[in-house]
Amino acid sequence: MITPPRALIAEVTHRCPLHCVYCSNPVQLQAIELPTDSWARVISDAAALGCWHLHLTGGEPLARRDIEELAQTGHDAGLYVNLITSGVGLSAGRLQRLVEAGLDHIQLSFQDSREAPANVFAGARAHAHKLEVAARIREHRVAFTVNLVVHRGNLDHLNELIGLAEDLQADRLEIAHVQYYGYAVENRDRLLPTRSQLEASIAIVEKARERLEGKMRIDFVLPDYYARFPKACMGGWGQGLILVDPAGRAMPCHAAGVIPGMSFDSVEEHSLARIWEYSGAFTRFRGDEWMREPCRSCERKAIDFGGCRCQAMILAGDAAATDPVCTKSPQRSLVDAIVDRVNREPAVTEAGDWVYRIGPSNKVPTC
Amino acid sequence: MTPPSMTNRPALRPGCRLSPASNPESLLLIPEGALRLQGPGRQILELCDGRRTLAEIVEELYRLFPSADASLIAGEAVSFLERLHAKGTVEFL
Ligand code: SF4
Ligand code: SF4
Repeated sequence: MITPPRALIAEVTHRCPLHCVYCSNPVQLQAIELPTDSWARVISDAAALGCWHLHLTGGEPLARRDIEELAQTGHDAGLYVNLITSGVGLSAGRLQRLVEAGLDHIQLSFQDSREAPANVFAGARAHAHKLEVAARIREHRVAFTVNLVVHRGNLDHLNELIGLAEDLQADRLEIAHVQYYGYAVENRDRLLPTRSQLEASIAIVEKARERLEGKMRIDFVLPDYYARFPKACMGGWGQGLILVDPAGRAMPCHAAGVIPGMSFDSVEEHSLARIWEYSGAFTRFRGDEWMREPCRSCERKAIDFGGCRCQAMILAGDAAATDPVCTKSPQRSLVDAIVDRVNREPAVTEAGDWVYRIGPSNKVPTC
Repeated sequence: MTPPSMTNRPALRPGCRLSPASNPESLLLIPEGALRLQGPGRQILELCDGRRTLAEIVEELYRLFPSADASLIAGEAVSFLERLHAKGTVEFL
């Protein structure tokens, strides 16, 4: 028997009022959405299968009017319910209903500590609203995480960003360097930090962790382009996480759509248990049968599973290749070339020229 | 960090809770993860309701585990809660 998934990532919609320049949603956004009763069944099935956590995410999950109901379904099934939100649409009433439904945890994103650049990165005037939402969240006894995606454009404000999370009385702070999927690939040269920025950020986080121990936990995700070895993507393909996209397609990872020849089974046609165990998308890179050298004989393959399949696809054009961020990869030079270029070139400071995430059914941002 | 005093009232932080008793495994569910509870971990955390003091919790534990060495129980419970505090899952009120 294979081990069951531990978390269901329910990407309930791709609609979002923001247009973040690093959004990790697929560039081909999904306009079709499962109805409430289908989501409710998927959520209950996930609990029966062995999941502990339900992550309600998107897009902006609050764009769906039934999110309170889905949170309730998750809670009733014994799941730990987490809402990942931009905050847009989180009125006092909806928040109250979500907490009553048994919501355990809210993750609220900020794009910068300063309003003007925050709104540029989000492609929307959302920053001031987020501050109000944060204050509202703190009135409830629910775990509150501030999510910060950091990159070349906001990394010099890292101390301020940590201060913001403290002011908002977050229980937890997640600082994640941009990962290069979806829209972030389009904006990569403007987002990838310089080596000195990266080093400064590591030192700042280390100091803040010491100072805030026991008060605010800080999780920190480094940019793997600067790493020697890849990350253990998704904790291993088909090992612990199952993602269901707005249309009901079950995926091992949110970016898996970039891999040609993948077909994703629909939760409308198959049970989650069956998909987890047998679906071609999940079995394709599960375990180490698919690996080639240098991964096959590498002692780290049990730690990082050869890295990220989608990144191998995006960078090397081959989903079964060793993740090119690995120093042992014959294609590491592809990553080095990008890193070198970014470190040579001055930062782009003008607001224009970003590729914004648009759609589905969203207008092009105006600010 | 200064160690908690026996008059502190430990409690699980918001968003940290024990898995439902119906689950086959005993877990502390936390944002973005879970911690497997071993030995008396679950019983200790069930007592951390923010009302009982650490001294009262230790006393309860003596009652629950009469055969165990009393000083061992106290020491282990305190260091267990300190570890969880450092992980941001327990607060000392
Ligand atoms: S546009 Fe921004 S807020 Fe919306 S889904 Fe993407 S990253 Fe999240
Ligand atoms: S060779 Fe493969 S398994 Fe070894 S460290 Fe690199 S990516 Fe990981």
